[in-house]
Amino acid sequence: MIPLPFQIILTAIVASILAGITCSVVGVFVVQMKLSSIGFCMSHAAFAGAALGLLLSTDPLLTALVFSSIVALVLGPLSERAKLSPEIIIGIMFSLTIGLGFIFLNLSPGVAATQQALGILWGSIFSVTFDDLLLLGLLTFFIIFLLTVFFKELQSLMFNRKLAEASGINTSLFYFLILFLIGVTVAFSLKLVGGLLVFALIVNPASSALQFLYDLRKVMLVSPFIGALTCLVGFLLSLLLNFPIGSSIIIVSSFTFCLSVLLSPKRRRG
Amino acid sequence: MVKYGMHNKMVELYNVDTIYEGEALPAIKDINLEVSRGEFVTVIGPNGSGKTTLLETVNGLQKVTRGKVIVMGQDMSHNSLKVRKEIGYVPQDFISDPSVPFIVRDVVLMGRYGKIGVMRRPNEEDIKIAEEAMRIIGIEEFADRPIGKLSGGEQQKVMIARAIAQEPKLLLLDEPFSNLDIDSKRRISDILCRLHDENGLTTLMVTHDLLSIPKRCERVIVMSRGRIIAEGEPADTIRKIEDLNVMGWSL
Repeated sequence: MIPLPFQIILTAIVASILAGITCSVVGVFVVQMKLSSIGFCMSHAAFAGAALGLLLSTDPLLTALVFSSIVALVLGPLSERAKLSPEIIIGIMFSLTIGLGFIFLNLSPGVAATQQALGILWGSIFSVTFDDLLLLGLLTFFIIFLLTVFFKELQSLMFNRKLAEASGINTSLFYFLILFLIGVTVAFSLKLVGGLLVFALIVNPASSALQFLYDLRKVMLVSPFIGALTCLVGFLLSLLLNFPIGSSIIIVSSFTFCLSVLLSPKRRRG
Repeated sequence: MVKYGMHNKMVELYNVDTIYEGEALPAIKDINLEVSRGEFVTVIGPNGSGKTTLLETVNGLQKVTRGKVIVMGQDMSHNSLKVRKEIGYVPQDFISDPSVPFIVRDVVLMGRYGKIGVMRRPNEEDIKIAEEAMRIIGIEEFADRPIGKLSGGEQQKVMIARAIAQEPKLLLLDEPFSNLDIDSKRRISDILCRLHDENGLTTLMVTHDLLSIPKRCERVIVMSRGRIIAEGEPADTIRKIEDLNVMGWSL
């Protein structure tokens, strides 16, 4: 185990917990509304955006945020209007954004194989600053606030979009709000687990909670708890075994999901 | 010609065509229809005759490619969101995935969400209305069960309770008896008749089964290949279509 200053460890722990909470709350929408393909594209768009940030010598978080927000605000309505299947979206956007990301990294002089470049690929939690932490905290608060205020509209949308629309809810508005939140969450979590793995952090905790629960309110409470815990355990595991942090978190959350499937009462007979 | 928005008309369709994306032919064509306040109208026709499209055109879920749809005096091309808060809708063959995290009580209450409005929570009155809707339909024993665990017929009852909980001014029912056993069919049919009698609820129901037409139905509309081919008082209209040999829906 590498000895690290207490302040850095504390910052990393708080960042893990906040990212775990935010990703897994947003993950409930992603899993329940089957938005995986669009969300997956967003995480890779954020990776391409961060790479562009390195190329332009600006804050990678800012460019990642712009890229994933563009995907959220353009790809969502576009795929809806053009009635594109998720397979087509994922096939085209995944390769396009990864391709762009690597081109940007390649064009950045002296950046391609540096810690910075690897950081946006695999995450680099120790580079999380106090400002990053503050932004992540604000995002967590913002998402929980929106969820509380618009819970009934979002709940209705998650149950069935057509029925929600039939009962007079402006479903397009809330659908695009969800896409935007996914984009922002992905961009903010990039530093923690990296562009290639962030989406697993979104999907795994929510999928684990859904193995046990039939009440959406309980899923909304349990999913962030699982998310925060897996991030924390993954972080500690990476310190103990000297593994990359993003990978450790994803291994722990994937293991949690497998365990949930095995223990799920929803899959039991009698 | 009836003027747009006359208050005694709940539904007015003028020369309406609806074409689905990627389709060349309209699902419904040249539809002219008026439903008066408090009327019970049943639309019958074989599969693919445009009945569901007609209902979804009325509540604005399908955009018209030609013509005008006026519901409760409001043009649905501009005000559909507002008007839909007053329209109860029971979709055809609704089945939830068995693992979905939604319990029956919440699904029924969701019927009121549009009416409650944004940034407001359901109050005790809303919860009471939803519970009463469950009691009327006879599903109160399922209130805390996950909807996906119910049978097709039970889920259909939940959808009807949800529509009733909305306290609509117009009720649109798409094959509401398709998954129900004979007893449930009779019970729900009686409930719909009672709602119509006691509250003057305007009801537009779609079915392919002539035996499902409730006794309170005042007018039957027959559709075939996207067009209205006959309409009138139920007994006469059914006799007419029997004479035309459409019982096998060969039109």
